[in-house]
Amino acid sequence: MVTSIVVVGVGGQGVVTLARWLGRAAMAAGYDVKIAETHGLSQRGGSVEVHVRFGEVVRSPTVSEADADYVVALEALEALRAFKYLKSDALMVVNKRIINVPGKSVDSAAVFNALVSLKNVKLIPAFDIAQRLGGSTYENAVMFGYMAALLGLDRAVDWLDGGNLRAFNEGKKFISFENIR
Amino acid sequence: MCPPAQPNRLVADIDKFISYIYLFIVRQLLLGNEAIAYGALSAGVAVATGYPGTPSSEVIETLLEYRDRIVEWTTNEKVAVEIAYGAALSGARALAAMKHVGLNVAADPLHSAAYTGVEGALLIVVADDPAMWSSQNEQDTRWYGVQAYVPVLEPSDPQDAFQLAKEGFSLSESFGHPVLLRSVTRVSHVRAPVVVEPPAPPKFGRFQKRVDKHVLVPAIARTRKVDLLKKWESLADVSLRYTKVDGEGDLVVIASGVGYAYAAEALERYNVRARLIKIGMSVPISKRILDMVPQGEAVVVEEGDPVLEIQLRSLGLRTKGKLDGFFPRHGELTLRSVIEGISKAFNLGVKLPSAPRPPLEPPSRPAYLCPGCPHMGTFYALRIAAAGAKIVWSGDIGCYSLGVNLGEQDVLTHMGSSLGLGMGIAQADREKLVVATIGDSTFYHAALPQLVDLKTKRVPLLLVVMDNEYTAMTGGQPSPSRDAPAEIFAQALGIKYFVVDPADVKTSVEKIREAVSLAKSGEPAVVVSRRPCILEALRVARRAGFSPPRYVVDADKCKSCGICYNLLKCYAISKQPDGKAWIDPSLCNGCSMCAQVCPYNAIKPQEPGKVNRWLELWSQA
Repeated sequence: MVTSIVVVGVGGQGVVTLARWLGRAAMAAGYDVKIAETHGLSQRGGSVEVHVRFGEVVRSPTVSEADADYVVALEALEALRAFKYLKSDALMVVNKRIINVPGKSVDSAAVFNALVSLKNVKLIPAFDIAQRLGGSTYENAVMFGYMAALLGLDRAVDWLDGGNLRAFNEGKKFISFENIR
Repeated sequence: MCPPAQPNRLVADIDKFISYIYLFIVRQLLLGNEAIAYGALSAGVAVATGYPGTPSSEVIETLLEYRDRIVEWTTNEKVAVEIAYGAALSGARALAAMKHVGLNVAADPLHSAAYTGVEGALLIVVADDPAMWSSQNEQDTRWYGVQAYVPVLEPSDPQDAFQLAKEGFSLSESFGHPVLLRSVTRVSHVRAPVVVEPPAPPKFGRFQKRVDKHVLVPAIARTRKVDLLKKWESLADVSLRYTKVDGEGDLVVIASGVGYAYAAEALERYNVRARLIKIGMSVPISKRILDMVPQGEAVVVEEGDPVLEIQLRSLGLRTKGKLDGFFPRHGELTLRSVIEGISKAFNLGVKLPSAPRPPLEPPSRPAYLCPGCPHMGTFYALRIAAAGAKIVWSGDIGCYSLGVNLGEQDVLTHMGSSLGLGMGIAQADREKLVVATIGDSTFYHAALPQLVDLKTKRVPLLLVVMDNEYTAMTGGQPSPSRDAPAEIFAQALGIKYFVVDPADVKTSVEKIREAVSLAKSGEPAVVVSRRPCILEALRVARRAGFSPPRYVVDADKCKSCGICYNLLKCYAISKQPDGKAWIDPSLCNGCSMCAQVCPYNAIKPQEPGKVNRWLELWSQA
């Protein structure tokens, strides 16, 4: 069994770091891992997408359309863009945040309403939590905490400290408030 | 005489030893490119060169940590291959690394290296970018192997990349022949657990005179070609060393590179009883591969062009691959396309679900220049200074390529295209003003010979060197700009030039206006617009514990003119529903350009005391 995760967001949000953390946690838990990163435009405000797969033996480095078990989105418009990856029983975990595209107007309420109405989508206030902890740079750590707990990998994580660790724990805590699928 | 070890020194040594053991025994999550670098280290590489380019840059970046050998970025890929080739001719173990399009620049020495051979080892690492995530074409490097008579090793994942990089050196040294290691984005930029071995001491060399081999005048080159063809046959014979067979069955799949990873998963997922042949050396291949396919028919899975398939077909094998449309001819392979191709070839009848659609279609999100990017100021000054002129924006490869999203790149094709094509356009269309925009790293890489033509042909155009003192797009590698500033070349050639600071908007506009009128009057003109990459400056600031000032819009003073968001086009500034500007505080990098262009003085720094200190720190980054 291989678990396939697609991590998306906007360049500068720490998408690659979040994906590496997930991969590292899976490896620490004893799994084989492949993380397919995209470099180059990752700091320049463009769409960023990283694939993480873990399991006993992982061959394919990328996740195909309609084949992801999870999509983790650090931004809601990028979540919409990543819908194509979802398997029929997959879960999409979305940071409740929209980063505007210059020159385009976006109806934020419509986006969140559309997402929240879907039963396989979970909105997480990672941006708000991160702001409370000192800045948006921690939002990926909040999402990581949530995902690590969801995947049962949180105990394998022992390398975070400072704000990232606090954010990770907040993300983990968030999961205890709900019933997982 | 050796002094006795001090206790604290001993502890430090033990620590060092433990971290060393950890690094080289325990599996680590490594990028394919890092694994290639470790493979080269374990093979005793002594000289490593390269020019940065996605997805290849991390090979040299990793090697740069090892100070006991020569590791350097060069001005372009030709220089990289030449230095490594020269070292290998001298008996050293050498590596050159680049992206696929870079090998075009280095193609000349590559072909000669096959004729002369090498005395040590020469491994040329080339990372292809199918699907063109950050490239202008998706050429397949393996063709160069066919054309230049250079064997091509093709790893399928990071562990394989470590192994084949290491073995590439012994193959090169045992045959006295250059070897290509062809990677792709999904090997180079995949991170996976890898076991690496410790570095071997660097193997340098001594140059021995061998005029009969190393001087390619016609009489010698003719004999070398005959020897080369013989060598090529024995290389085909050893290619089976890099071949591995998994599974059994009448169905046969032959796969190379990342195609092997996809094929293996596809067969496992659907429990297909098949023989899977992994090809580690895809050029040249051995006739004896036919013995492994008694039925005479195989599915061929490979990333890029049908290079493997064409060779197999020429040996008489019936193939089902890219030639007959079992797999797509463009873009990257995906697990999906490989499953579909194998299913079609073997009549498995697999039906994959279609991709779900989102509840709303999101707007596309192109990459932008970073807030505070010096190129943003240069483009603004050009827009103002050349307003009213009929301009052809002749673009180039680098961060400023993103000017395409701002309307300032009309043609952009390859490294050096701005000045090269620009000279052709300016001579073909005398009505328009050509503005050629090129970054500093690209200028040194490709435009120095062109600059001589600009002078000797006196082509009337404006060349703008956007000098941010780094090779910024690929991650901030150094550029020769500080050692050899671009204006010295213009000065030496007697071309009129202007040096401006894009963060000083008013002066930039004035000087660029002069340069524009010079070009309009029929003279070539050069502008060097110089200020370091803001990302590098932010790194310096972070280390110094300094946070740049943020700028804010005074809504009472803002008259909704739109100059900041429509003309300066800063990514951090957005238009509010009432037309007023708003600066996202999480994005503002404090460059001050918006405050300078605002005609109503409506944009101010939150901490005015920091402004000069920041501009100073930034200019020194």
